[in-house]
Amino acid sequence: MPATEYQGSFLSRISIRRNQVVSMDGNHEQELEELEIFQKNISERFSDLISDDSSSSSNSASSSEPFLSIAWVRKLLDVFLCCEAEFKAVLIMGRDPSLISKPPLDRLIPELFDRAVKALDICNAVMHGIDSVRQCQKLAEIAAASLEQRPLGEGQARRAKKALAGLLSAMGIDETSGGHKSAERSWSFGRRGGGGGGVSVTKDRGSGQSRASTWGVPKNWSAAKQIQVMSANLVAPRGAEASGLAMPVYIMSIVTVFVMWALVAAIPCQEKTGLATHFQVPRQLGWAQSMVWLHEKIGEELKKKEKKGASPVGLLEEIQKMEKLGQSLLEFSDGFQYPVPEEKLDEAAAQVADLTETCRRMEDGLVPLQHQIREVFHRIVRSRTEVLDVLDHAGKSSAPSV
Amino acid sequence: MEDGESTATDHEVQNHLAAAAKHIMMALKACRNLTDDTKKVLSDLNSCLPNKLILGEYGGWLLIDSEEQIKHYGEVIMRWETELGMIWDHGDTEASSYLNAVTEIQKIVKTIGSHPMLLSNGKQKELSLRAHHILQRAMSKLKQELMHILIQHKQCFAPEYMSFRSHVEDAVYDESFISVEEDVIESLSSGDDSGSSSDKCLVNLIHPKAISSIKSIASVMFASEDDKEFCRSFVNIRKDALEEYLAILRMEQLTMEDTLKMDQNALSCEGKKWVWALRIIIRVYLRSERCLCDQILGEFGRVSPNRIFIEIAGSAMWQFINFGEAIAMGTPQPERLFLVLDMYEVLADLMLDIDSLFNEETGSRIGIEFHELLSRLADYAKGSFSEFRNCVVSDRPRKPFSSGIHRFTNYTMNYLKTLITYRETLNFLLHDLEADGLDCSPEPENGEEISSYVSCPLAQHARLLASLLQENLENRSKFLKGEPMQHIFLMNNINYMVQKIKDSELRQYFGDEWIRRLIGNLHRHANDYIRTTWSSALLLLKDHVELDVSPFHRPSHRSRCNKFIAAFEEIYKSQTGWVVPDSQLREDLHISTSQKVIQAYRGFIGRNFAQIGDQYIRYNGDELENLVLDFFEGSTRSLGSSRRR
Repeated sequence: MPATEYQGSFLSRISIRRNQVVSMDGNHEQELEELEIFQKNISERFSDLISDDSSSSSNSASSSEPFLSIAWVRKLLDVFLCCEAEFKAVLIMGRDPSLISKPPLDRLIPELFDRAVKALDICNAVMHGIDSVRQCQKLAEIAAASLEQRPLGEGQARRAKKALAGLLSAMGIDETSGGHKSAERSWSFGRRGGGGGGVSVTKDRGSGQSRASTWGVPKNWSAAKQIQVMSANLVAPRGAEASGLAMPVYIMSIVTVFVMWALVAAIPCQEKTGLATHFQVPRQLGWAQSMVWLHEKIGEELKKKEKKGASPVGLLEEIQKMEKLGQSLLEFSDGFQYPVPEEKLDEAAAQVADLTETCRRMEDGLVPLQHQIREVFHRIVRSRTEVLDVLDHAGKSSAPSV
Repeated sequence: MEDGESTATDHEVQNHLAAAAKHIMMALKACRNLTDDTKKVLSDLNSCLPNKLILGEYGGWLLIDSEEQIKHYGEVIMRWETELGMIWDHGDTEASSYLNAVTEIQKIVKTIGSHPMLLSNGKQKELSLRAHHILQRAMSKLKQELMHILIQHKQCFAPEYMSFRSHVEDAVYDESFISVEEDVIESLSSGDDSGSSSDKCLVNLIHPKAISSIKSIASVMFASEDDKEFCRSFVNIRKDALEEYLAILRMEQLTMEDTLKMDQNALSCEGKKWVWALRIIIRVYLRSERCLCDQILGEFGRVSPNRIFIEIAGSAMWQFINFGEAIAMGTPQPERLFLVLDMYEVLADLMLDIDSLFNEETGSRIGIEFHELLSRLADYAKGSFSEFRNCVVSDRPRKPFSSGIHRFTNYTMNYLKTLITYRETLNFLLHDLEADGLDCSPEPENGEEISSYVSCPLAQHARLLASLLQENLENRSKFLKGEPMQHIFLMNNINYMVQKIKDSELRQYFGDEWIRRLIGNLHRHANDYIRTTWSSALLLLKDHVELDVSPFHRPSHRSRCNKFIAAFEEIYKSQTGWVVPDSQLREDLHISTSQKVIQAYRGFIGRNFAQIGDQYIRYNGDELENLVLDFFEGSTRSLGSSRRR
């Protein structure tokens, strides 16, 4: 796994350095150098996420991971895990613990923790978002399987139509007008209704859509708002602080908010209205250039969707593809009349093959993606505990002098 | 007559046809490779057969009346397209005739499907499409029927498992160290709400009579490769049912942030719900759900009941796991120890069930996550325990306090008592936590046998905590004015410790030797109290002490008596206001005061009665002894100056 490779070399470098200069406590030059390496690594990692052709056109098939595909998001999470490990190394490894209990870190660390906890909730919401993508994947599979049958009759077309209509409505797209419905219904994040039961429920859920998709976060929770709050107090350190530990804390905060923002953008998540404008990557910083580019690219996509009056369900490449193919195949099944002209049939067959391929990529990628998000979750929890332990030590050892 | 003739002829023709067909069949069976010419002839023959479907098998021809069948069964199926209502609501006969019709159509579709060459024939193709169309309608209908049955026959099990409800509300260990001095603390005893003996049993989440209907629907849907649709509907409805059940258990969806910011009371309440709900959900509900999945899907092989089960249960499990994670993320606090121990115990207890429900074959991480959570809860519990020890060591008075039983002592002893109720868990968790600092090991003197209680890790920690509490009290007593009051304070509190230990299970953990030592301390403080309170007054009553004082300055017996009485009145005035709540201890103090002080006074009066003079003796020994009984009653009194001159 690339994550561990990166991390290993960097961590050992840092610890060796620290050991060499252990007598010269607070060697400023060394600190600056570390900070520089940290920034350089961040910059490199994120530029890896920009593949050669995605910079020219975002939709062309790339040799590595297509922009915003499941594979790409997994790579993004790898990058996060690497950055996180290095950050922790810079912050606490072999360092005098009292350093992080003094200003300005005594203020910055709790803020960082606050963001970390919000990130955990985003991880949970996204985990559930992926569950709902899997629901859609199943509908797409049903549709594809029906349309693959030969001879293709009205029976199969009808079945496919039902599944596709269910798929698009689960995605929050109104199949009759072709446009998106209001954000209210997107991704079947229906509110947890009380009671229910009985016959009427069957009707409400003709497509067998479950109401149980809000798990993970309470109903008034909003992913977009979390992002907004996380980035609200992000201020770049100035003056002397800029060369101290305040800098890596700031950088890591930006990385965290960016990665969470991108996750929320890519994957269905409860309430993301206004996501496009809720977070900006600072443009003037050298290490953030790739991030700025990625942010712009994703932001454009978000705005495009929002302009169409859609609540951005998820920019994940596979989801977008599923939506497009779903709409087109729904049209095909809707107007289905036997016999179908050969060329139309061929066209549909190609789309079905595409849809099947997309489903396969989801089948292969979504569960590992969920596991990885959980890994991010645990990593954030663990790091928080580790830093707290250091603070605890610092608190105890410095208590008499205070 | 003509009719009869023609019938006879018709009959003959039929016979000829049958014989010819048999010939053709035999010939075809014998000959595997047909020439183009032969095929052409046969094809012509085929098209001569009106309204009949010709099927080939091993090159032989079979005729069946497919069209008739499709028409017949199609009608049975399509009737329900216009009819309102549900088939299964109309009784078993309707249901089985519908299922039968579907099965027959499936057979036809299958037969046609296995002979693709037939499809080049326009007529057959049309029939095939019609059959597919009917089948599609049937599948759609069956899905609705399935959901209807699943919802209608859903059973909500209940009350006997719900009996902990009232328990959830009364918070028993919600005191914090901070509030210790403000609040009166009731017993910390934790409610032992381990499940009833029947909590192992399974329940029917779907009425048993509906199971066979569901299975028959499954069977025809699976035969049409509609297993995905079936599972989707099944999973969604069962998932909703679980969600509704959690709502009944009043499990709330919380974010990590909410949980981390929750105050102690709310957290304790949520935590108890968690403990209570998790046990029911895992041990009863999900085990039953798992059985249901096996029951319904077990025989079909194509889908794994395991996987379907995970899809149903997964998100609810994440809710439980994440709450636990949020708790374990918090800063260890003594007041959360028991909640976390409850959580730990229930989880440890359910681990076998969890392992069998969420085994690794399912590819789900839920089992692993629960294991990780268990170890994190263990860490948190250890952390909270250490934190408690730190508090016992370092807690300092925040406001003035009296000489009575301090709430801190009360809190700590109740805490210790509650710890004992978690004996097994704590022994397991604490075995590697050092009980450093003090010698707390029991002394095997007098050949006394050390019980397993006395030597267990928890006992060692409990004794250490009690010792630390004593130290803390000694330090705390310094904040009180005057040595006598300090000794009364320590006696009150040590006595309280002794009583708490003797009157509870703690006794066996501390051992008699340790308790004897504690009582020894109590006696030491009693002696010190008498000494520090009365020594200067008693000096006045001694006949030989003033030897070094010149006779000239020697105070008279009368004035010594007066001075003693004045000192007594002074002490009386202050110490009647002090409190010794324990009547036995109070009595003991009265008695030893009488023995040490009143005895001396009686002797002094007796020896010097003449010199002092009757009218100058304000109190005789009995009167003074009675006054001593007013000590430590908690209401300040003074002896009226009216009796003074």
